[in-house]
Amino acid sequence: MNLFRSEEHITGWLHGREPGATIPVTKLSELAHEWWADRLSPEWQPHSRQQNQAILDRLGLTGAFWQLPG
Amino acid sequence: MEESLLLLRRATYALFVELGRAPTIDEATAAVGRTPDEVLDGWRVLHEQHALVLDDARSAIRMANPFSAVPTAFRVQADGRSWFANCAWDAFGVCAALGVDGRIETACADCREPISISVQDKRPSDRELLFHCLVPASKWWDNIVFT
Repeated sequence: MNLFRSEEHITGWLHGREPGATIPVTKLSELAHEWWADRLSPEWQPHSRQQNQAILDRLGLTGAFWQLPG
Repeated sequence: MEESLLLLRRATYALFVELGRAPTIDEATAAVGRTPDEVLDGWRVLHEQHALVLDDARSAIRMANPFSAVPTAFRVQADGRSWFANCAWDAFGVCAALGVDGRIETACADCREPISISVQDKRPSDRELLFHCLVPASKWWDNIVFT
C-alpha cells in the first residue's frame, strides 16, 4: 500500500505483476479518516465486516477488489 | 470483545501514542496491573481477533494499526511527536486516529524520490499523488505485514 508520483511510476513498480487498485491520494485520506478515526477512542469496539464494507462502499470503493472476506 | 481485552488494548494503544513506539510487555504489565503472562495471553487473543498484530514469535507487538512497531518508509509527525505507520493508508490513519493535522514523510515506491505531505483538516497538501493497493481486500489479512 504505497504512494506514487504517477501511473507510470505504478507501472514501473509493478514490473509486470497484475495491478491492484489505484485511487487518488485525496480519496485515500478520506478512507483513512473514516477507517481509523475511532481507533484511540475509549469507546472503541471492533468494526464488523459490514461496518468496514459500508465505509468502502460509501467512498465508492466497490467491485470485487474491495470486497472484504465474508 | 471482553472488557478485559478492551482495557488491555486501550492501554497498549495509549502507550504506543505516548512512547512513539510499541510498549514492551513490562511496560504494558505496569500499565494494566497484570502479570506478563496475562498481558501476553491477552495480546495473543487480540492478535487472533485482528485488534493488533504480534511478531512472528507471537511475543511482541509488530503493529497496533495504524502504528508500526518497526521502522518503515512512512514516518508521521503530528502533535509534536512522530511515529512509524505500516503503509500509506496507515500514515493518514495516524493523523485520523490522533484527530490532528500532521506531516507524512515517505517516498515514491518506484523512484524513491522523497515525498512530504502535510495533512490539514483531513486533506493532503499534494493532491496529485496516487495510492496503489496491490492486494485485494479479501486477502488483506492473509498476510497483513505484506499487505
